Amino acid sequence: MAELQKDPITRSDFLGLGVIGAVMGTILTIPPVAFVLTPLIKTEVEGESDVLRTWERVDHVANIPEGEPVSYVIEFPIRQTYGDDRIQEESGVSQQEFTVRNGVWVSWRDGQPPEVLGGIGEGDEVSRDQIEELTQHLNVMNSTCAHLGCPVRWVAEVEELLCPCHGGLYDINGEHIGGPPPRDLYRYTFEIREDGFIYITHEFDGDPYIV
Amino acid sequence: MTEVHRDADQGRAAPAKPVEEEVITEENVFDRPDETMAFFPGQVLRDGYVAAALLIACTVLSYVFPAPLAEPADLAETQYVPRPEWFFFFYEQILMFFPGYALISFGAVIIPTVFVVLLFAVPWLDRSPHYSPMKRPFATVTGLLVIMVVVLNMLLAISRVINFPQG
Amino acid sequence: MIGRVKAQTVETGKLLADWIEDRTGAVSMMEKFLYEPVPKRGAWLYTLGSATLFLIVLQFLTGILLLFYYVPTVDHAWNSVYYIMNEAYFGQLIRGIHYWSANFLMAVIGLHMARTFFSGAYKAPRELNWVVGVVLFLLVIVLAFTGYLLRWDQDGFWASVVGIKIGSYSPFIGGYVVNFLIGGDVIGPATLSRFFAIHVWLLPAILAPLIGVHLYLLRRHGEFGSEFEYTERLAKLKERQRLEEYERRYGLGEEEEERRE
Repeated sequence: MAELQKDPITRSDFLGLGVIGAVMGTILTIPPVAFVLTPLIKTEVEGESDVLRTWERVDHVANIPEGEPVSYVIEFPIRQTYGDDRIQEESGVSQQEFTVRNGVWVSWRDGQPPEVLGGIGEGDEVSRDQIEELTQHLNVMNSTCAHLGCPVRWVAEVEELLCPCHGGLYDINGEHIGGPPPRDLYRYTFEIREDGFIYITHEFDGDPYIV
Repeated sequence: MTEVHRDADQGRAAPAKPVEEEVITEENVFDRPDETMAFFPGQVLRDGYVAAALLIACTVLSYVFPAPLAEPADLAETQYVPRPEWFFFFYEQILMFFPGYALISFGAVIIPTVFVVLLFAVPWLDRSPHYSPMKRPFATVTGLLVIMVVVLNMLLAISRVINFPQG
Repeated sequence: MIGRVKAQTVETGKLLADWIEDRTGAVSMMEKFLYEPVPKRGAWLYTLGSATLFLIVLQFLTGILLLFYYVPTVDHAWNSVYYIMNEAYFGQLIRGIHYWSANFLMAVIGLHMARTFFSGAYKAPRELNWVVGVVLFLLVIVLAFTGYLLRWDQDGFWASVVGIKIGSYSPFIGGYVVNFLIGGDVIGPATLSRFFAIHVWLLPAILAPLIGVHLYLLRRHGEFGSEFEYTERLAKLKERQRLEEYERRYGLGEEEEERRE
């Protein structure tokens, strides 16, 4: 094998190495990192959301029973990568519309419907005062456990919402009463409209992250 | 003396000399194990047997217990019971012991991270010159404790999974 | 006649081997690899490492095959896995091997690490090989985690939900970790794309060269490490040290000295 030959590095060589390093380093590190972190930057820094701010109809207040919560499946339209409606408009190629499916538990506070509910049936106009009364007594909660996101279920025998993963327990109002969860179930922003129906939007009293 | 030393320095690559000729010192005792064999066919065959056994096991299991495929994913399902894979059982069980905002981070992220860092540092934490597990009791006991914690938590998780009333 | 054919074949083979040796040096390299002396004691224990390698190779092979049919989109992923399991010839076997060898891999890696730990094989000069091994171990864990979501069924999906939620408890950066993992603020099409990219491209691309480094370091320092391969030599060393101690204290007869020389 030939002897190793170690030429001295001149000032211009050194400069050249620096230029090469700077070009390679800049173009091959910053854009790839930003590329991969796009959703993070858009959501965390620019405050955008994938979920469109729509109001989805849940059910009529008269259908919420006494003493137990009911579960609903609500789908919120989302724009994410190839499901983005702005992009589909541009390409003219429509893909399936993407949604995020949320499990929603709805119950009356402590299981007791307010007295005003007695006079309200489907199709009745609901007055402003009645709406206020109903709103104060209604719980609209996301079904994922505040601990690690497993779906909570209603156990009728003990009248509690139970998380099957690590045994988190919530009462009918979604308030944490036992197990490892750090807080109550996440509550939706909701409103009851004049037609007596409950509407919810994808907004919580905290960040459940996954739903 | 020097003659013998040079032989020892050639180490494993040298053709096996009669062992009696070598003077074993503190320095060269680990140069060459008691008895060696060529990598091929001895070791290759043994590796091959194990690999073949594993391949057969995989093949048989793929038909006896096919790889599972549950119903399509649904984020809104409230009756489903999520379960981790068996090798995450112990981790999931450990999380049960860390309730509330103040502790969850410890169980979920901080303790595992510290454990991994310690795992990386093992060669520098245990600097005793001994190899035998009997001669470095601290490392051995620590290792056994870790295994015990993992296995115990695994068993706890399994018993919890078995005892949970399926909805 | 047959003898001549045989002789010619041998001759051709030799020429071919010589040519390859001259151009690449592959033959002598193979010789070096194949005939290196390894400890006879504990040979079965050392199959744990090669079993890990074999299972990872199986993962690569079956993983590449599964990609012929798998579609990483939320509306097609489950269907394509269902197709693999029920329509493609030997689909059940290919996916079965991928699934079962992954399970075996976790177990065998555990045993391999335990073997290394308890025999003290991580000690100098093999510290770096231990470090590389731990990195490989972590990579395999993340591969197992990301692969679980790809089938987009309830089991894998909810396990990933729990895993992502665990990430949300990282101190200070919880929210960022989650948004990075799910590619947005809810689980959706972007989540599957990301997990697919990580499971199929990113991690294997890191894993493969690191396995190379692991094997290179293994060959460099030899696969020794356990004291029990040296029990005879250690016993001899002890005996000699004991004799020397005795000699230092009480002195030895001339003839005894001669006998030892």
